[in-house]
Amino acid sequence: MIEDLIGGFGVVMQPVNLLILASAVLIGFVGGALPGISGVILVVILLPVTYTMEPTGAFMLLTAIYASSVFSGLITAILYRAPGTPEAVMTALDGYPMTQKGEAGKALGVGILSSAVGGMFGTVVLILATPLLADIALQFSSPEFFALAVLGLTVVASLGGNLLLGLIGVCIGLMIASVGLDPLTGTTRFTFGSLHLMSGVNLIPVIIGLFAISEVLKRCQEGDIHLTGNKKFSIRIFDWPVIRQIRGTVARSSILGTAIGILPGIGASTAAMVAYSETVRWSKDRKRFGRGAPEGVAAPEAANNAAAMGALVPLFALGIPGSGTTAIILGAFIVHGLTPGPTFMSGNSDLIYAVFVGLLIVNVLILVFSKPFIAILSKLLDVPYSVLGPIIVICCIVGTYSVQNAMMDVWLMLGFGLAGFLLEKIGFPLVAIILGVVLGPIAESELRRSLAMSRGDLAIFWERPISAILLGIAILLVTMTVVVPILRRRRARKATTRDS
Amino acid sequence: MHFTRRTLALAPAAIALSLALPALAQAQDYAPSGITAFVAAGAGGGTDNFARTVQPMLEERLGIKMTIINLPAASGALAHQRTAQSAPDGESIEFASSTLITSRAAGQNPIGLDQLTPVARMQSDVLTLVVNTEKYDTLEDFLTYARDNPGQIVIGGTHAASVDRMAFLGLNEMTGLDLAYIPYDNEGSASANLLSGNIDGMFNEISAIQGYMESGKMKPILALADERLAAYPDLPTTVENGWDLTFGNERGVFINAETPPETIAAIEAVFEDIFKSEDYQVYARKANLDVRPGWLGSADYRVVLEENLAYFEKLLASE
Repeated sequence: MIEDLIGGFGVVMQPVNLLILASAVLIGFVGGALPGISGVILVVILLPVTYTMEPTGAFMLLTAIYASSVFSGLITAILYRAPGTPEAVMTALDGYPMTQKGEAGKALGVGILSSAVGGMFGTVVLILATPLLADIALQFSSPEFFALAVLGLTVVASLGGNLLLGLIGVCIGLMIASVGLDPLTGTTRFTFGSLHLMSGVNLIPVIIGLFAISEVLKRCQEGDIHLTGNKKFSIRIFDWPVIRQIRGTVARSSILGTAIGILPGIGASTAAMVAYSETVRWSKDRKRFGRGAPEGVAAPEAANNAAAMGALVPLFALGIPGSGTTAIILGAFIVHGLTPGPTFMSGNSDLIYAVFVGLLIVNVLILVFSKPFIAILSKLLDVPYSVLGPIIVICCIVGTYSVQNAMMDVWLMLGFGLAGFLLEKIGFPLVAIILGVVLGPIAESELRRSLAMSRGDLAIFWERPISAILLGIAILLVTMTVVVPILRRRRARKATTRDS
Repeated sequence: MHFTRRTLALAPAAIALSLALPALAQAQDYAPSGITAFVAAGAGGGTDNFARTVQPMLEERLGIKMTIINLPAASGALAHQRTAQSAPDGESIEFASSTLITSRAAGQNPIGLDQLTPVARMQSDVLTLVVNTEKYDTLEDFLTYARDNPGQIVIGGTHAASVDRMAFLGLNEMTGLDLAYIPYDNEGSASANLLSGNIDGMFNEISAIQGYMESGKMKPILALADERLAAYPDLPTTVENGWDLTFGNERGVFINAETPPETIAAIEAVFEDIFKSEDYQVYARKANLDVRPGWLGSADYRVVLEENLAYFEKLLASE
């Protein structure tokens, strides 16, 4: 393997390949920073360009764009609460409050460092353990995915705030997710005769509406102010006191992110959600989250970049894509006449190790390039909000439209924007809705697939060890969040009665 | 096209001529200023790759720009709708797969073959029943096990209204077996479940399983085909077993049904030229889309589509 890696290094160090990597990082940066333009779209746009390239360069380009677009979604999420990619939704939860507190530089620094660490960790795992991990990932079938989604949904209990509102939010999310074709029978549900609604409500209009548009609406009421309170900010990536604060979070989230990314069919967005919620769950002071905690930025960013690399594990080892973008990279392999599958790695080690080394270098390049790139973007912060707000709205509209070339998505996004604006006024946790929209379809279809596998026997969920353990943890966590406060209150009441 | 009295008077002659010399006569009449191509699938999939591969070849031949618009929503129904509602001037075409008729049969697509007409079929991927080699080795093994364990065999596929599901329904009907079907959101999930032994088999295109066949972890045991495939002489077919199932995932070009026949013929001629070109054949070979000849002209393709649509509707109705 060492020889393969050195060989790969030699390939990557060729000037033309370095140039490919550097330009890929920049393309990924720009695309990821624009709300609605995701890694999927970038890879597709550049796919025809790669037809004429030789495979090694082509796949370094595609994977590097993929990696850097996952990273740069954080910039607009932190600065404007307009997540550039779905993977960066959770980053906005604490990143944007930090910007409001005048800590945009710190938030970006934390995000960049966590992303790079997560990405590198994911890449190292990819290099060292791809064949082994791919076999473990195969143990995950419908019952396990169902259990994982349930575990994810219990997060709502630990998000803090009003539990009842959180539950209502998850239910709203689940309802949104049930619109469209039934995943198993193909029957139309809640489409009201609209063709547009047949494929369901896309995640991007929901995210951009609820987060970005609602924020612009809120700002409209507050008069013309500067986002950062006219304070100049500087990004410090290596800020030791902050690093000490977030290192545990970054380590845990990198591991979680890689593990979730490896599972076929579950991508970086879910990884970011789970990592964020686990960070809140294990934190001593949950109240800080949602109000600008650096750990709240570190967790999703480490996890989503790690997951992006993890998603490549089943792709290289088995020819099974772990996420939407990797599915397109798989298509690109086929167009280049390569046959992904269980023997792909042994047959194409030159190409694969060059891509691996390329990804390591990309994560370094992200660290190097991000500061000047953000410096340019942050110049926008000096623009008064009366000008910036409309620009954000236009970007959101264009980005949302481009997802499916459908005006319906734009109307939905604006509708969700208005809804988000009103819901936030009563302190509604918007993220609970996103939780329902992302995890609902997984939970529903995998539950039904599990039952189809077992022909209706519910025992499948506890007869399979992994799903039994995951569901057990979920039940334990829910009872703890419900029971512990009751016990505590009772004890407090006893104490007060005794005192009096 | 402007019709004057003289062109009208000449029309019978023109049609006669066009019948005699299809490509030559109309290539001069058909001069679009640009082409909008709706792709009835998301960016990056097989249909999209097909459209983007053909794009430069078409641009070169007609000397114009072709703009690709992906309309994946509603299983491509929006793309069918946009194409059917476009001006019938040969400047709007659609790239679509067999999902056009499977979704039509399942009642998900309001646009039928009366509003949309085929121009040409370019790809005819062979659908196969694939199994995990640890479970079954031959078609006989599979059939014996399925007969002994009715209702216990689970077959995976992609989506509820797809050729995979139609193949499943058709196989159940033809063989009298009691197989169960689980639709997955994508091919990868179905492959993962087959590799790990959670399901017994899956329907997949022969172009997509090359890597697994090489590794020996999966193998096709049945091809939906008339006769044995030259590249896979050991692979049994449906027809030799007496089951009349030969459809697969096909990809082609469609257009508004009101487009004048001569315009359609002219576009068909351009695509036939593309199909026969070395560039296109290299792509088809690389993507393993040349296992079965893909080309069908407008009229022949329409016959195939109508037959399959009627059969799919029958299958779904009897389910």
